[in-house]
Amino acid sequence: MAVAGVHRPWFGATLKEWIFTTDHKKIGVMYGVTSLLFFLIAGISALGIRLELFQPGLQYMDEDTYNALLTTHGVLMQFWWAVGVWSSFGNFLLPLMIGARDVAFPRLNALSYWFFFSASVLAVLTLLPGNHIRMMWTGYPPISLNDNVGQVAYYAFIIHLLGASSLATAVNLVVTNLRMRAPGITLGKMNLFLHAFLAMNVIQILGVPALAGAVTMLLLDKYFHTAFFDPSRGGDPILYQNIFWFYSHPVVYVMVLPAFGVISEIVATFSRREIFGRKSMIAAIWGIAILGFMVWIHHMFTSGIPDWIKIIFSYTTVLIGVPTGIKIFNWVATLYKGSIRYTTPMLYILSAIFMFLIGGLTGIPLGLPAFDINVQDSHFVVGHFHYVLGMTVTLVAFGGFFYWFPKVTGRMYSEFWGKVALVLIMVGSNLFYFLQLIVGLEGMPRRYADYPPIPQWITLHELQTVGAFILAVGVGLAVLNLVLSAKFGPKAPDNPWESPSLEWLVPSPPPPHNFDKIPHMPEDWDPYNYEWLSKHKKV
Amino acid sequence: MRKSALLTLFTASCALAAPVAEPARYWYNMYYIWLVVAVAIYLIVVIPAIYFAVKYRYRKGNETAQHVQENHLLEILWTIVPVLIVIYLATQSFAFYRVQRNAPEGAFEIKVTGFMWGWQFQYPNGKQVIAFFNMMEDPQTKEYLPLDKIPDTAKAYIPAGVPIKVLLTSQDVIHSFYVHPAKVMEDAVPGRITHLWFQINQPGEYWVFCREYCGTKHSKMAAVLKVVPKEEFEKWYGGPLPIQGKQVSFNIQ
Ligand code: HEM
Ligand SMILES: [Cu+2]
Ligand SMILES: [Cu+2]
Repeated sequence: MAVAGVHRPWFGATLKEWIFTTDHKKIGVMYGVTSLLFFLIAGISALGIRLELFQPGLQYMDEDTYNALLTTHGVLMQFWWAVGVWSSFGNFLLPLMIGARDVAFPRLNALSYWFFFSASVLAVLTLLPGNHIRMMWTGYPPISLNDNVGQVAYYAFIIHLLGASSLATAVNLVVTNLRMRAPGITLGKMNLFLHAFLAMNVIQILGVPALAGAVTMLLLDKYFHTAFFDPSRGGDPILYQNIFWFYSHPVVYVMVLPAFGVISEIVATFSRREIFGRKSMIAAIWGIAILGFMVWIHHMFTSGIPDWIKIIFSYTTVLIGVPTGIKIFNWVATLYKGSIRYTTPMLYILSAIFMFLIGGLTGIPLGLPAFDINVQDSHFVVGHFHYVLGMTVTLVAFGGFFYWFPKVTGRMYSEFWGKVALVLIMVGSNLFYFLQLIVGLEGMPRRYADYPPIPQWITLHELQTVGAFILAVGVGLAVLNLVLSAKFGPKAPDNPWESPSLEWLVPSPPPPHNFDKIPHMPEDWDPYNYEWLSKHKKV
Repeated sequence: MRKSALLTLFTASCALAAPVAEPARYWYNMYYIWLVVAVAIYLIVVIPAIYFAVKYRYRKGNETAQHVQENHLLEILWTIVPVLIVIYLATQSFAFYRVQRNAPEGAFEIKVTGFMWGWQFQYPNGKQVIAFFNMMEDPQTKEYLPLDKIPDTAKAYIPAGVPIKVLLTSQDVIHSFYVHPAKVMEDAVPGRITHLWFQINQPGEYWVFCREYCGTKHSKMAAVLKVVPKEEFEKWYGGPLPIQGKQVSFNIQ
């Protein structure tokens, strides 16, 4: 246990301490660095994709390379960035916010990270020629049973490692949250961030086994001659899609619920008031988490399943828009009569809300079979989820990085360069993703290395590539800002945002055991009671 | 002002001359209904948001926030109204989808089989057309050919103005048959027979794309529909159409 440095803050640790640490803060930082690194790798493969699509024809790579890059991009962006980055936030912040000294099972937590790390190493190895996996992140059989698309065993092993890691983290954080909250922090009073993470981890616990089952069956089909999915031996490939989407739809809420939590924290802090409709926010989080398991068929509207099933699932799918809408309305209403500070994190979050609105509104028609029948597997779908993942989740993650940066590093980032990066990101990605929606409406199929020389398509693709490169410059600036400020930034005060939320009441960076003694939060304390702080300077 | 401009957009769309292909009309209707709803909701949220963002910024005279925690009437309103809107959208979609899915009676049936990487069209009298990926590209540069440069042997003849029902399956992996002008698609699944229908009114050449990832040449797994007047089709087909040739006209306004 005592291997971790006791007197030094996390960044002063030696390599040995990093490797053997069980400190949730160090583990949080390791998740953050790993997922950011993979975000960059996935972003660079995306630029390759975008370059290839600039013009019809194959200028820079052949189809196999394109398909491998796209598989890499899709898998890394989702599992390492959009899911993985929240392990960083969860690990670093959750114990601090509830007044605990660590998570419930610190060694299990370290094991989770090292599973994630092993999966990362394997994923990097798929970048080598000869190791390419080309079955797309969805891995649908029978194409995934075909030797030409890479090794199913390898892919299944990566998913199992990731799954074990996510399950262990989820159990760990749920137990920590439910059993280790300091006296005075009730379920009703705890941060919305904590509610969002609780719901997200419950989804993981219920869903991950389904995905693990799907890839295990794939493995058995390919190497042990079972016939779950192989139609040439009497199996049914649609069965895979059902099991796969039973998890892989809810996983989008694993990516986006934590983002909702972070949005709520930052909007409240910089409006200096409690989130409007706090109870309905909690209800909406759970509504989304539960409904999320009842909509997976919308990924299969053109798979040849019976029509009546599609109709039922179209109703459940659009209904999920209601709790989602409530959250957006509440954030907007929180601005009302606030006293809004436009810091860099707040600007990222407000941009994310406006972009999420587009992401959500373009998601509704995908739940309507009459609409979906023209856009399923087109670039419209890709545009839709880039608004949600590429913009909302990514902007929120960066907003969160900036917001908690002083807490994690004890230093301040550059406000100016943070804002410049945001402008570039917003211009670039809207140019890119909006036209991705349009070219999809025009019929452009998804996962196409090449496309016919239809004049409108060519123009739309050229502009998208320009947008993607502007976006890349913005992201580069934001990352540089974080990296350089961690080393050279000016010293930050312990609580630069003057928030009463518990993580801000400990020193920056927090000492190894967070709290000298477990805090007892008084009756009048609340993570969003901004007047409380001026009355009691210290706990 | 804004409202009436939207309304014009909407009515203009409904009055669109009969689309070149069916059942694209229903897709367009769904599209414009959604567009109006989506733009309206976007503005309803964003305009107040920007107004609040400016008005309640931190400045002299607004150093502290006022607390407004809940407003039950407002909260009930913004729950019920969206529920009604989405139920309306799903029900409207249901009504359109029935037409988009169910081929009109007496449609001309063609069997289409997907394979890596091409399409086989089988007509009722045994006539066959095969579209293979290498017919879609220039043999030297491997670039996609434009519609008019693709060899006629790769083109499936289709009679204009006649509803076509496609029975789909696949020989190997899952593909998806997307009829570009008709705005419909359906997967071709090995071991299953699925279906879709379309009708192209205006003679010409149109794309079909594979829309489910199926390996290396997925992006060249296209086919071309050569839509010709009925008489010309019968000449190519070598006999009369084995249907009553019933033409379907649409009226949903
Ligand atoms: C520099 C930024 C980005 C660029 C240039 C980019 C580009 C693209 C393009 C062009 C495609 C579609 C390619 C095709 O269907 O042929 C795509 C697919 C995808 N992108 Fe991105 N993207 C970016 C950021 C992101 C982010 C931040 C995420 C998620 C957090 C993301 C997630 C995905 C996913 C899941 C797919 C689907 C992959 C598949 O079809 O299997 N992308 N991206
Ligand atoms: Cu889904
Ligand atoms: Cu294909």
